[in-house]
Amino acid sequence: MTGEYIAFFIFALMAISGAVLMLNLDRVIHMVLSIGLSFIGVAGLFVLLKAEFLAFVQILIYAGAITIMMALGTMMTSQHKEDKKLKRKGHTIFAILGATIIGLILLNGIRTTSWPNEAANLGEDNVIEIGMAMFTKHVIPFELASLLLLVALMGAIVLAKKESDK
Amino acid sequence: MLENAWLVPLFPLISFVLLVAFGRQLKEGAAYVGIVSLLSSFIVALGILFERLGHDAENYIQNFNWLTIGDKTLTVGFEITPLNALMLFVVTLVSLMVHIYSKGYMHGDERFPVFYTYLSLFTFSMLSLVISPNLLQAFIFWELVGAASFLLIGFYYFKPSARSAAKKAFIVTRIGDLGLLIGISLLFWQVGTFEYAGVFEAVEQGLVEPGFITLTAILIFIGAIGKSGQFPLHTWLPDAMEGPTPVSALIHAATMVAAGVYLVARTFPLFEASETAMYVVATVGGFTAIFAASIGLVQNDIKRVLAYSTVSQLGYMMLALGSAGFIAGVFHLFTHAFFKALLFLTAGSVIHAVHTQNIKEMGGLGKEMKITRAVFLIGALAISGFPGLAGFFSKDLILMSVYESGHVTLFWMALIAAVMTAFYMFRLYFLVFSGKPRHNANVHESPKNMTIPMIILSLLAIFAGYIEFFGFGEWITNNGVIAEEVEGPKWIMYLSIIAAFGGIALAWLMYGRDNKVKTGEPRGLHKLLFNKYYIDELYSTVVVRPYTIFGYVLKFFDKYVIGGLVQLSVWFSKAIGKIGSRLQNGQVQAYGLITIIGLVLLLVSLTAGRLLG
Amino acid sequence: MVPLNAYLAVGAIMFSIGMFGVLNKKSGIIVLLSIELMLNAVNINLIAFSRFGFYGNITGQIFTIFTITVAAAETAVGLAILIAIFRNKGTISITDLNIMKR
Repeated sequence: MTGEYIAFFIFALMAISGAVLMLNLDRVIHMVLSIGLSFIGVAGLFVLLKAEFLAFVQILIYAGAITIMMALGTMMTSQHKEDKKLKRKGHTIFAILGATIIGLILLNGIRTTSWPNEAANLGEDNVIEIGMAMFTKHVIPFELASLLLLVALMGAIVLAKKESDK
Repeated sequence: MLENAWLVPLFPLISFVLLVAFGRQLKEGAAYVGIVSLLSSFIVALGILFERLGHDAENYIQNFNWLTIGDKTLTVGFEITPLNALMLFVVTLVSLMVHIYSKGYMHGDERFPVFYTYLSLFTFSMLSLVISPNLLQAFIFWELVGAASFLLIGFYYFKPSARSAAKKAFIVTRIGDLGLLIGISLLFWQVGTFEYAGVFEAVEQGLVEPGFITLTAILIFIGAIGKSGQFPLHTWLPDAMEGPTPVSALIHAATMVAAGVYLVARTFPLFEASETAMYVVATVGGFTAIFAASIGLVQNDIKRVLAYSTVSQLGYMMLALGSAGFIAGVFHLFTHAFFKALLFLTAGSVIHAVHTQNIKEMGGLGKEMKITRAVFLIGALAISGFPGLAGFFSKDLILMSVYESGHVTLFWMALIAAVMTAFYMFRLYFLVFSGKPRHNANVHESPKNMTIPMIILSLLAIFAGYIEFFGFGEWITNNGVIAEEVEGPKWIMYLSIIAAFGGIALAWLMYGRDNKVKTGEPRGLHKLLFNKYYIDELYSTVVVRPYTIFGYVLKFFDKYVIGGLVQLSVWFSKAIGKIGSRLQNGQVQAYGLITIIGLVLLLVSLTAGRLLG
Repeated sequence: MVPLNAYLAVGAIMFSIGMFGVLNKKSGIIVLLSIELMLNAVNINLIAFSRFGFYGNITGQIFTIFTITVAAAETAVGLAILIAIFRNKGTISITDLNIMKR
């Protein structure tokens, strides 16, 4: 039991319990906050995987931006509680079954495959490596990503704009 | 002209198509379409007949390949033999007369164009039947003739009796048609061709077993029995009188019912090859002749008397054919077409005037309807075999043929039938035209377009018989190829004259002299005859009733067993549909769930396969 | 050293939970978050493979960056759509949106 294992268990627990809480909590805002916990756990896992830059990005974007945005969205749509009136028994059972079986199949696949055990050498400084790759090899996808963000920005504005000034 | 024979049925077909398309707009003008087309056909048919009259003219035949199945080829085409040419002439002439006559008779009917449409269809199919060079084509048009006849009998479809008569005609003739179909199929199986010529050749060369020839000949004769109203399938013909009278004249006197006789005459070499078949034809014909004539003695409906007379005369023709009297049979077919059409048209004229068909409610019509009376008298004399008129020659020839063939019983039966024929025809004449009126209708002579066809036909009824002296026998048999001419002793002729006069005299004694009408219920033999030997009742008890009961059983079975199965499958598909429609609830998550489940099933089946195998 | 299996297992579990959330949650916002959860699970896999994979290299991390970019864009647009729906219908409950039925 090294420290790395302990850290892994803690982070994995955070990620999964956050996700489970999101499913089971009552109020929407609590759900949003619990998923923030999950995001932070994932960021911890990234650190353990020697992807410090991405861990940073994860916290910044997910735990920071997206969670907050969702919380705001929840407030704007004034939906505080999940609507529990509508029962969809068959639907729920089938959803549980489907998700569980997919999970089991994945886990079985993971268990039965023999994976390589050495860690790849990704350089001393992660950020430099990423920067080198991003701006040389992957520069075109990078530019396209910026275009995508621009389009998403404009699309979000157009969609959310009030239509009264039509 | 012979190579253009296909034009003859084409004109009525064109008229049929035109009337189907524009009949509604044309209204009573539809008559002119029908008449003009028939006139064209008649002219072509006349041309064909004259060209064919030359004694050395060859049979003209033209075939086109229709279907090739394996090494068998089916053909369609047309053929002109003396018999065909004669039939074309008779059918187009009578049909033309009926077309003209109907313009007056059907005047004011709501479905006037429809009537002419059906007439055109019927004439087309009849003419096509006549020029068919093979049995298959003949069978197709044979059925089409039956269908057209069904339409025409049921023309007054709002009368239940007409409806049931149409159904009866269709079903009863269907029994015969089935026999014909089986016969044709067997012939094809054995000989490998539908062509008349090919069949006759095979029979002549002895390629077909004698027993087989007998079988097929009798099966074909069953078809003829159905169409020509021979015993025991005669019951539809009197009922078919529910149709308009011109239809009775055209179909149930001159053309369609003659189709059976024509078929037997056309396939005569086949019958000739089998003595048994010939004997069957002769016996059925002879029996029908006397049987129907005896029923005709006591009927009170003018058209029914004529109908039974038709059945009886058709029996005569069959008798002649069965006694190897090919010439006599065809000759009688030829003359009978004219005088029977004439009699029906005059009957129509009478009905048109007094609006009843019961002869006990007529009488004394001769004063007002002079032309009708005269032509009816001519027709009656002709059919009775009065010397010098058409029926005399042909009937005489038939009697001679029967005598020569040696069927003595059949000969005497035919002679008695001749007496009966004369009797019932003049019973009709005296009851309808002489004596005091027993009706209170305002009687007029019929319009010109009704009387002129009657006059033309009456001329033919007088003179058609004289063709016997111009080599008719030689011509129709292709110089004796098909059958030999018969010569008989002279005393037969005198006997037939005596029979005719005897019948007429008896009728005069009973109905003409004091002109009284017996009232009251018929008794004894009279009753038996009046009820047509209870044949209809017999059929209904023996055939129809069990069938109905069987039908009820089947209905029960259908309702609860088959219907139950159907209901089950309905319920099943409904249930599936319900599930399906519940899946289509318009919610994204449901669709997503279905997709995931599909993925799961796919993955499970794949991994399961790998685990197991 | 924590083996690759462990990371992949965590990813698989998170993915299943996210899928269940997408299929069964009624609030539109939670559905969007569940999608984020699934994307996160994928990210874990990508990074784990970039470190321990057969040919481990930095591209896995680059790919994760793009995933995060797309996820951010998706969240923005998704939220905008939810707000537009809320404005028109007064609800963002997924079960009330059955316009595809017609």
